[in-house]
Amino acid sequence: MEKITIKINGKDIEAVKDQSVLEVARENGFAIPALCFHPEIETRAGSCRVCLVEVSQNGRTRLVTSCNYPVRKGLEVRTDTDLVRRIRKGVVELLLSRTPDSPVIQKLARENGIEKSRFFVDEGEHYRNRCIACSLCTQVCEEVVGVSAISMLDRGRDKAPGTPYLKPSQVCIGCGACAYACPTDAISMIDEGEVRKIWGREFKMVTCSVCGKPYIPEAQVDWIVKTTGKDRSFFDKCPDHR
Amino acid sequence: MGIDIRKIDEIIERYDKSEESLLAILQDFQHTFRYVPEEGMKRVSEVLGVPESKIYGVGTFYKALSLKPVGRHTCKVCTGTACHLKGAHTLTDIIGKELGVEPGGTTKDGRFTLQTVNCVGACALAPVVMVDDEDYYEGSSPQDVLKNLRKYK
Ligand code: SF4
Ligand code: FES
Ligand code: FES
Repeated sequence: MEKITIKINGKDIEAVKDQSVLEVARENGFAIPALCFHPEIETRAGSCRVCLVEVSQNGRTRLVTSCNYPVRKGLEVRTDTDLVRRIRKGVVELLLSRTPDSPVIQKLARENGIEKSRFFVDEGEHYRNRCIACSLCTQVCEEVVGVSAISMLDRGRDKAPGTPYLKPSQVCIGCGACAYACPTDAISMIDEGEVRKIWGREFKMVTCSVCGKPYIPEAQVDWIVKTTGKDRSFFDKCPDHR
Repeated sequence: MGIDIRKIDEIIERYDKSEESLLAILQDFQHTFRYVPEEGMKRVSEVLGVPESKIYGVGTFYKALSLKPVGRHTCKVCTGTACHLKGAHTLTDIIGKELGVEPGGTTKDGRFTLQTVNCVGACALAPVVMVDDEDYYEGSSPQDVLKNLRKYK
């Protein structure tokens, strides 16, 4: 771990070489908006573009996505210049035209001084109208959970996650990791009593033997038991009562 | 629709059992069955050990792959910039009327699938209509195109 010093908005900041600008900045109290960043996901696709900052190194200045830009010695970062604000505003306006129904994007738009998108607005009932096509959900499903139940389907404007053949997935374990990871709440997951509905399937939940709260799908328990060899009785109680 | 599983296996057999073969196999399915059947994607998943979600993702990504059976012939009307200016949309409407399908649709008798595509790289000859990816009809009036289409059985 090589320690280096960089500058953020004129202040000297200690950092570890190759950490992302976004993480260093946030650790030191500088706010940068970010949608498609997830600490557990190694592939930083950099797809949402809202985390833009200005960086200078060796006399050159440019705009980069902070979530996947590694810090190096002597780097100077500015998070809040006119240029950053102007370009980010454009990015958010485009996101708003794709996802007019997403409260998260609507809020971000207001924060960036946008009332309404000037562009064609993608309207309709499809859940894609909240999805910014960042792929976090499919990456979490593949890289963190390890089941690959969903993938990004189609391309361009229609790109959005889905299950194979648009049918209920046979391998989904109902864990909901995709829904939790989604920055714009685009994935519908409904917990009703002892049943969880997600991706067109219904999962029976295991209830905690102490508090009686349904807290984990049976299928997820099966998966954890199978892949880690953990004892099934471990899941009799929810995390609060173990 | 009955798809012969042996044919599916024959195609998969031709390739290395690795993820790199995926697209080539799906293209062969498209060629042989005129679409990429679900049974085929399932089988590829088993044999190559690639999750079905990935295979379906690839299947939906490429315009050259279709998940529904396409007709014996495909009629692609270029709607790229040059062709657009030369009336590609009127041409599409007229062909659609003649065939009785919307773009993306297949005629009931399975003879034609009508598609619109973006620039086929022959802008000087706009508007361009391409049949079965090999016959080009360029700069032609709608009447000529319709006459030519009748040749395809
Ligand atoms: S559903 Fe959410 S996590 Fe998945 S691609 Fe869309 S915005 Fe990203
Ligand atoms: S958070 Fe950096 S590009 Fe989305
Ligand atoms: S626009 Fe039709 S060939 Fe280029």
